Amino acid sequence: MSSAVAAAREVLVVEDDPHLAAGVMENLRAEGYAVAIAGDGERALEWLKQHTCALIVLDVMLPGIDGLAVCRSLRSQGDNTPVLFLTARGDPEDRVRGLESGGDDYLAKPFHLEEFLSRVRAILRRWDWYRSAAAAAALLRFGDNEVDFRTFRARAWSGETQELTEKEAMILKVLAEHAGEIVSREDLLERVWGYDVFPSTRTVDNFILRLRKRFERDPANPRHFLTVWGVGYRFLTEGEA
Amino acid sequence: MKAGGGRMKATRVFQITALALVAVSAVQVGWWLFDQHAYTVEKVRAARSTYTEQVSAAQALLDSGTSAARVQQLLPGVVVSGGRAALAPALAQALTTEERRRTNQYAWEGSFFLLALAVCIAVIARALRAEARVLEEQDSFLALVSHQFKTPLASLQLSLETLALRTPPPEMARTLIDRMLADLARMELMVTQILESARLERGRVELKTEPLELAGAVARVVAQLEERALKEHVHISSDLSPGLYVATDSLALDVVVRNVLENALAAVRGTGGGNVSLSARAVNGEVELSVRDSGIGFAPADGVRLFQKFTRLPGGASHYGSGLGLFIVHRLMELARGRVSAHSEGLGRGASFVLTWPAAAPEPRP
Repeated sequence: MSSAVAAAREVLVVEDDPHLAAGVMENLRAEGYAVAIAGDGERALEWLKQHTCALIVLDVMLPGIDGLAVCRSLRSQGDNTPVLFLTARGDPEDRVRGLESGGDDYLAKPFHLEEFLSRVRAILRRWDWYRSAAAAAALLRFGDNEVDFRTFRARAWSGETQELTEKEAMILKVLAEHAGEIVSREDLLERVWGYDVFPSTRTVDNFILRLRKRFERDPANPRHFLTVWGVGYRFLTEGEA
Repeated sequence: MKAGGGRMKATRVFQITALALVAVSAVQVGWWLFDQHAYTVEKVRAARSTYTEQVSAAQALLDSGTSAARVQQLLPGVVVSGGRAALAPALAQALTTEERRRTNQYAWEGSFFLLALAVCIAVIARALRAEARVLEEQDSFLALVSHQFKTPLASLQLSLETLALRTPPPEMARTLIDRMLADLARMELMVTQILESARLERGRVELKTEPLELAGAVARVVAQLEERALKEHVHISSDLSPGLYVATDSLALDVVVRNVLENALAAVRGTGGGNVSLSARAVNGEVELSVRDSGIGFAPADGVRLFQKFTRLPGGASHYGSGLGLFIVHRLMELARGRVSAHSEGLGRGASFVLTWPAAAPEPRP
């Protein structure tokens, strides 16, 4: 781990426009990142089979398989590398589609260089927080569930093994750090996504529903992931009597 | 844009008003038919009951001893035979005939009017639908065009902001400036192509066919592109024998050759450099120009899709253009009574485009 931190963090830039790819690469290098470039989705997936990186900057409109499909494919393989989408389409539905395919952030073209760089930093910072938090308290037990934050793997009360997505794990981590307290939807958004990337906080609700389905004996009557009406959520490790 | 939208709106209002009027007329005709039919039925019924009353009256007179002759004189519509009064057969017949005649008239006239109105409704509805389709196409066209513009725009902004943020060394600044100039050239080409394709789609292009010497026309286009091609490590070789004449429009010929060459250059640029070679020959009263490149190629099955608007193929270099270049080539070749086809053995294996025009006799020198 320490050697990986010492070495320059690598960013994979997946962009079919050579000028834009070169511009992004030069700027990331100037900020001290190592950069690899893939001109299309196939090449990106190929590269990722043999390498790991700290972040993927992913164009949505790629020839062949598009960026959303690349991201979904990574997530389905259990690859949780953070993804920053770049796209020429900036309307809200497209943002939601990008984020629901497993992306971490979404930037519309043309973008401002400094905003791009600050989003890259923010994603990596959130990721660093998660990794150090996961290292500090790797295991979470609640009910008869057990979650390993390092491997994103969990064993549910039913004995079933659950593969968590990066966002599910992050939400669970935030809730676990504040067990027993009320955490607002906005706090969750801020801690896990970082920006005003979602048009509404309803997406957080969807993630909570998914967590309940994974870990509650009766998702309709949750004992661990409790809704505090009008505010947010409260996580209980013991379960509500 | 605004004026066009206003005109579109005015036409639409007119069409919808006409549709409403025609629909109201149809309902009125229907009502009129129903009313007339009911009126006729009522009239016939009244006539029949009058006649029945006359027959009853005649029978009463006969029963009270009035002579049959006197009864027939008083009630001319009644015949008397063997002491019984009955309606005159001619009268009964006339009543039935009249009823049938009127019913037929309504049926024919009514169906004619209703049919005519239905045709009107169909025509107007069709026009409205066609217009909705045009609007939809315009919307998706605008969405696609703005998308195509955003990539060079993003690259331009990134280069400029890099210059502003980092004050790079001179050689790096030079690279950024060249990149920005290339992005501007891309956007300029896209504007030209969008205007050309818009004109082509509205059928506002009239081609003036004349005999043109192919080698000369191609050489002029090549000369314009050669310098940029060399910078991008693309070598253009042209082996066109003079004396081949094609019958086409000189501007269309220029646009077609330029777009096919631009496409070839983009394909070769995608592989980091290579060759584009041009050759021509005369076959069966036609002249073929082949443009072969060593570029990225395409899957053989995509040979037709290439010529549609905004086609993006896997591994393609279409991000360089507006997605309209080959569409323009296809439309212009159609208008010029020529053809264009594309062939490739597959991705990474180059491609060739063949343009075919009707051959022309050399222009007679005065």
